Amino acid sequence: MNLLTNLFRGLRSLFGKRRVDRELDEELAAFVEASAADKQRHGMSREAAQRAARVEVGSAGAVKHQVWSSRWESVPDNFFQDIRFALRQLIKSPGFTTIAILSLMLGIGANTAIFTLLNVILLRPLPVQNPKELLLFGDGRASGSTGSIPDGSWRLFSYSFYRDFRAKDVSFSGVAAISSSQFHTKASIAGGAYQTTQVDLVSGSFFNVLGVPAFLGRTIGESDDATAGAAPVAVASYTWFQRHFNGDTAALGKVIRIQSHDYTLVGVARPGFTGISVGQPADLWIPLSMEKEISPGWNGLDNKFFQSLYLIGRLKPGVTAAQASSETNVLFKQIVRSYMGAQPSAQHLDDLAHASVELTPGAHGVSRLRGKFSSPLMILMAIVALVLLIACANIANMLLARGVNRTREVAVRMAVGATRRRIVVQLLTESLLLALLGAAAGMALAWKASALLLHMATPGPEPIPLDVHPDLAVLAYTLGVTVITALLFGMLPAFRATGLEFTPALKDGRGSSSVSTRGALARSLIVGQVALSVLLLVVAGLFVRSLINLASIDTGFDKHNALVFSLDSSTANLPHKTPDEIRSVRLQEQIESRVQTIPGVQADSFAFFTFNQGGWSDQVLFQGVTRTPHNGEDVFFNNVGNGFFSAMGIPLVAGRTFTANDTQTSPKVAVINETMARRFFPDGWAIGKRFAIGEAPDHPGEIEVIGIVKDAKYTALNEGTLMGAYFPCTQQVGFYGNFVVRYAPGANRSEIISRTRAAVAQINPNILLNSVTSLEEQVDGSIATQSLIARLSSFFGIVAVFLACIGIYGLLSYSVARRTSELGIRVALGARSGALLWMILRESLLLLALGLTVGASVAVGSTRILKSLLYELSPLDPMAMAISIAVVAVMTLAAAWLPAHRATRIEPMQALRTE
Amino acid sequence: MVQGTLEMLILKTLALEPMHGYGVSVRIEQVSSGIFRINPGSLLPALSRMERAGHVRSEWRATENNRRAKYYMLTAKGRKALASETEQWDRQAAAIRRILEA
Repeated sequence: MNLLTNLFRGLRSLFGKRRVDRELDEELAAFVEASAADKQRHGMSREAAQRAARVEVGSAGAVKHQVWSSRWESVPDNFFQDIRFALRQLIKSPGFTTIAILSLMLGIGANTAIFTLLNVILLRPLPVQNPKELLLFGDGRASGSTGSIPDGSWRLFSYSFYRDFRAKDVSFSGVAAISSSQFHTKASIAGGAYQTTQVDLVSGSFFNVLGVPAFLGRTIGESDDATAGAAPVAVASYTWFQRHFNGDTAALGKVIRIQSHDYTLVGVARPGFTGISVGQPADLWIPLSMEKEISPGWNGLDNKFFQSLYLIGRLKPGVTAAQASSETNVLFKQIVRSYMGAQPSAQHLDDLAHASVELTPGAHGVSRLRGKFSSPLMILMAIVALVLLIACANIANMLLARGVNRTREVAVRMAVGATRRRIVVQLLTESLLLALLGAAAGMALAWKASALLLHMATPGPEPIPLDVHPDLAVLAYTLGVTVITALLFGMLPAFRATGLEFTPALKDGRGSSSVSTRGALARSLIVGQVALSVLLLVVAGLFVRSLINLASIDTGFDKHNALVFSLDSSTANLPHKTPDEIRSVRLQEQIESRVQTIPGVQADSFAFFTFNQGGWSDQVLFQGVTRTPHNGEDVFFNNVGNGFFSAMGIPLVAGRTFTANDTQTSPKVAVINETMARRFFPDGWAIGKRFAIGEAPDHPGEIEVIGIVKDAKYTALNEGTLMGAYFPCTQQVGFYGNFVVRYAPGANRSEIISRTRAAVAQINPNILLNSVTSLEEQVDGSIATQSLIARLSSFFGIVAVFLACIGIYGLLSYSVARRTSELGIRVALGARSGALLWMILRESLLLLALGLTVGASVAVGSTRILKSLLYELSPLDPMAMAISIAVVAVMTLAAAWLPAHRATRIEPMQALRTE
Repeated sequence: MVQGTLEMLILKTLALEPMHGYGVSVRIEQVSSGIFRINPGSLLPALSRMERAGHVRSEWRATENNRRAKYYMLTAKGRKALASETEQWDRQAAAIRRILEA
């Protein structure tokens, strides 16, 4: 009751402050009156009594302040007062406010934007039950599948392994399996049009182990995963369900047609859950038992070595990760050993001896983005943190300068009774307000910027489906950064401003005693800024030089004037793994020859891969050539149409390329690259020689080399020299979805695209066109991360230098203004302008030299951590170092020269009058 | 003035009759033979604090000179507070005396 009354009265007096004030005034007046009347009764004259009473009571303001501050509501009231006062102060100096808010917007905005990405890609846990209990088998980096036994750490597992492991293990309350490659396919709902759909194949235990309930209907259960091909059911993600059914519960039971098989929609998963792959949300989940139907030609259900599944397990209560890990590794070796039969080869046993499974925390699921972006994001985070630090130093410097100008105000307020604490709180409120304004602007900037960054980092026809809207974690982070920022730049000036001896301050309006210390502080802040700018520019320079190195790598193919179409045959009902599969090849040949007739098209060809699209590799064995470590490395293969080498612009060095005579029935042929030819036949002629695929091939010498082409990059620009071999599509039948079209320089690109599209539709309307890019975009896309880092670090490096320049300019302008009279006297006494200029510049030159030395040494000491991210460049690259030092030196000198030059123009008479 | 005793003295003063601020200060000064002088800077915050705590309540009345003044009076809660504070004070004073005379 009492608390409530107190609260009520407090609020009443807070909002009715004027009334409370009036009552206090009246009470005080009555006090004075009563006291005076008393004194008069004791014989004083009326005037004398009044005067004495007033002296006795003292300052009415002080009394009221004391009464007011004895109540709790004075705290919020002071706060609002401080904010109002701070706002007035900020409005009074719009120049300072604008610069401060802009630099904070950049600093805080950049931090928030990078953190948003970091949060989405690296930090946010999966929306599942107790994500901390989940353990992933392997580090989640791999995708695709292999057929042999990898030695070292295993990341992917076969369906047989999943079943056998589950039957034996005791550490996990459940284990789930998820196909590592998502199926990018087309689905038709209840006979409607085909639409691109992402399908994840999952074990029957998937939803149960993750603890994801159904929003509607049911999830996939164990019985759905019991018999191959027997459970054509699908569970939809909430987003997909909303997109296609608008929340209509009648969706349950609807038939979805995928790859000419019908699936019944039995449920919708809980909103927000999109599978375990960050950046690759699933639309539909289908039981692993349907693998054969979903992926014709790739069926690993019965193959014990078809390692294509991620395994994720939930620990039993009380079991530690270490216990689970040792049990898993024992079982793992037992099970894999049992797959090798009675007489395993020595090679296999050796591989198994080195094999292991590393259990990693599974709370964040798997993500190819994580592997790709963790170090770039960390580095960017460090860069933007440094930028924010520079911005803080700048604002602190400006506040210090203002602090000196405001010395008189502070002194007066302290003289009339404000405590030091009160003034520090007030000054910090001002800083906090400034930081909050900057943060609000920065948040708005980050909102747009993180989506833009993501787009820059992963260019392509379709954006990566990541939710980059700031969430609670981001808000909390930004708020934290803001408060720390405010303290960083506000603390020092606030203490400095109140730590003055105020008698001299009152006298001359300047905190004379604090000027020299302020100068030292400001100067060290400038040195720090210059040093950080050099560091950032060196880093930026390294990334830019590395990017230039990367971009100037000879790709081996001609990336100009070539389009890459991605075609999807999943709805065309083409035969797979049957003798009739050659129909696919006929279809491709028809498309190739039809497109060839389009005006402007120079060459075209289907291919398994073009560039940076994944790979297929194995060892090969040439007849009569002994295996060496050099030629024993994997050869990277590709299946291509006849026109591939002209379409890609890969020059033929010797022999011939494929022709119409290379058919399914003719002898098997291959075109190999120069590296492969040289490694197998260092001083010989490779053409006509025969080889076979595999460590111990089933059909030795069945493939004949008919031609040698120049090396061309396969998976990445920075890959080493790889051995490569090309096979004709006609002899490796299948539908290869990449279609390269080379057009004449100057031909109308969009016209070629639409005509190609029409040609494909004419030949088979069920072949769908997924996307069109160009070879150049594929190449640029492969180094998008590096280019993003280079661009962002340059941008922030320039921002840093710019901020440092503002700092130097501000410091010198202030010092020139303060020394106006002194400089005037010097001019009057005949000082030459050159000498004056030197006198002023000398100080900043010293600061610059110091800053450069510190910055360069820090750079030398720290850029080594960037080594793995640089391509053919030393982290101590002298060029990057020299350029950054030069840029910082020129910019800061320019910033210093302006006020110094102004000093030489001082009119003696005017200068003397200012005092 | 002994630390922490101001409120007790005010309570005691108001226990006799409702008074305005000046009255309280004069009464304390008289009774203490001029040893304690309480200026409004300490008195009014203390009264405000005690009013918020519910130990006193106030109302505007006419003074003997026919002016409006705020009169403070003890509440039941204030009476209880006075009793307990007095008792505590007595105990402490007795203890201090014993120590001084030991």
